[in-house]
Amino acid sequence: MVSTLEPQAKIEMARKRRLLPQGMGATLPALILVLVFFVLPVVALLTRSFTEPVTGLQNYVELLGSSTYLKIFFNTFFVSALVTVISLLVGFPVAWALAIMPQRGANIVFGIVLLSMWTNLLARTYAWMVLLQRTGVINKTLMSLGIIDTPLVMVNNLVGVTVGMTYIMLPFIIIPLYGVIRKIDPMILQAAALCGATRWQAFRAVLLPLAMPGIASGALMVFVMSLGYFVTPALLGGTANMMLAELIAQFVQSLVNWGMGGAAALVLLIVTLSLYALQLRLFNAAGQGRA
Amino acid sequence: MKTTTAIASLALFLGVSGPSLAADLVFTSWGGTTQDVQKSAWADKFTAAAGVKVLQDGPTDYGKIKAMVEAKGVTWDVVDVEGDYAIQAGDKGLLEKLDFSVIDKTALDPRFVTDYSVGSFYYSFVIGCNKDAVKACPMSWADLFDTAKFPGKRTFYKWSAPGVIEAALLADGVPADKLYPLDLDRAFKKLDTIKADIVWWSGGAQSQQLLASAEAPFGSFWNGRLTALAATGVNVETSWAQNITAADALVVPKGTKNKEAAMKFIAYAASPEGQAEMAAGTGYAPTNVKSPALMDPAIAKTLPDQQTASQINADMAYWAKNRDEIGERWYAWQAK
Repeated sequence: MVSTLEPQAKIEMARKRRLLPQGMGATLPALILVLVFFVLPVVALLTRSFTEPVTGLQNYVELLGSSTYLKIFFNTFFVSALVTVISLLVGFPVAWALAIMPQRGANIVFGIVLLSMWTNLLARTYAWMVLLQRTGVINKTLMSLGIIDTPLVMVNNLVGVTVGMTYIMLPFIIIPLYGVIRKIDPMILQAAALCGATRWQAFRAVLLPLAMPGIASGALMVFVMSLGYFVTPALLGGTANMMLAELIAQFVQSLVNWGMGGAAALVLLIVTLSLYALQLRLFNAAGQGRA
Repeated sequence: MKTTTAIASLALFLGVSGPSLAADLVFTSWGGTTQDVQKSAWADKFTAAAGVKVLQDGPTDYGKIKAMVEAKGVTWDVVDVEGDYAIQAGDKGLLEKLDFSVIDKTALDPRFVTDYSVGSFYYSFVIGCNKDAVKACPMSWADLFDTAKFPGKRTFYKWSAPGVIEAALLADGVPADKLYPLDLDRAFKKLDTIKADIVWWSGGAQSQQLLASAEAPFGSFWNGRLTALAATGVNVETSWAQNITAADALVVPKGTKNKEAAMKFIAYAASPEGQAEMAAGTGYAPTNVKSPALMDPAIAKTLPDQQTASQINADMAYWAKNRDEIGERWYAWQAK
């Protein structure tokens, strides 16, 4: 099987390689558009990080030498990692359920997931604010049931940011996971059971490795998106949980210090691109390993 | 150098292809209910009188103003900015000088007039309290900083701007006439004592939400937002003791193609009628001293210009000179 597929795949790849340069002409206007409206302004801002107020690395020295800014970097990675882990823990069972559900049920659940994605981000964030605040629905319910005496503090802190961002990121992890899990042949799990694997062994040794590409791509997407997130941390987090995107906005908009803003943006960009490169490498390695 | 050219050509391209015609005036402000009133009180009336269409844009963004002026592609003709920024931007050459042969400044409150700006409206930071949520309301800045006497969350303006630092110093016992230059070390030390109990509001709507829901049952607010909240039926107590005034200003970014129309627009906005209607609609005070006479006395007496007994004017010139330095320290302190 494998040996007959391989030449075909090669032909396919070669065809694609030829197609790309031929099709380039048609994409030229789009490429120019991207270059002029996206690449140039970004490069212009990033360049300022080395030239304002004077030429040199002073912005980077200030950014990486201050405990406050380092704390913001740490916050950014910490919150992103936390959101990624929780999204995975919540998203995996949902994706799994979607994959094994009858199609009609799956469509309904999928609809709910997608619908939340299409609702305005600000509206969703404010909705969480109303739910989580001291006088919000959750606190009022818990207090009237006598479970707690004093309201829990769930907004303007880490809890608020994590809950709000996890909710927004969930579809981005459920969709790739669903795609991968659905392709896993249920017979394989049956085979594992027949061979004497416990449920936990079947999950760990069979399902999890097979779902790994989906887990990896979903997790990385959520992590990278979280790194640059602005609205939700700004509204649901306190100033002590400030993230990098907020810092950049402050530098660019209110302090009008584009040198520092550019420096912070470049650091974020480098981290994001490195992670992306890492993922590509891991993925290609994994993909080849399976073929 | 190259990047500047790139931005310039980009802006030029945008300017040419943009939807606004050269004859239309673009007015930019902060959005929300304040800009709604600026539109109805100034823009619509100005259009009717002068025949110049006024397009609304926003929110005000100092980064954008700098970018437009540097790239020589100014698309904002009149902008509502904070008073201290207006002074700083004028000094940095980002603004057109105002033409006071068109704008009549004889009746304008001189506190809010510079070569580059006139007051758009002025407001006070006052102490607001949700009377239904607490037994006693803080009535002074010292009360608001006293977590033993007034336990619970309190809300303050999130951004670095005149107001909170002054309040901290007043609460710490600094006499009103000795506020400036601001003793930042002392202010931050005082703020440290209540930091864990502060909920920050970043916009007027959020401040109202926090107070109405009693998420933060008291705090420092723009006076107009409290007036509006009280009108919706929330039981609001306002203390004007040592209310701290700051103003927004109207400015014209340097290099606008509509300079003449921009001056006429500002002349209307700053006129007794323009200021009176703006004040009536927002609860902020007029910057034209002839406006109160044109207003419903019942409304006029709720405005900051009637609360001068213990009023403190934030020193805009001081802020203009130090706003970058204070800003960096402020945000670093918040994030700590």
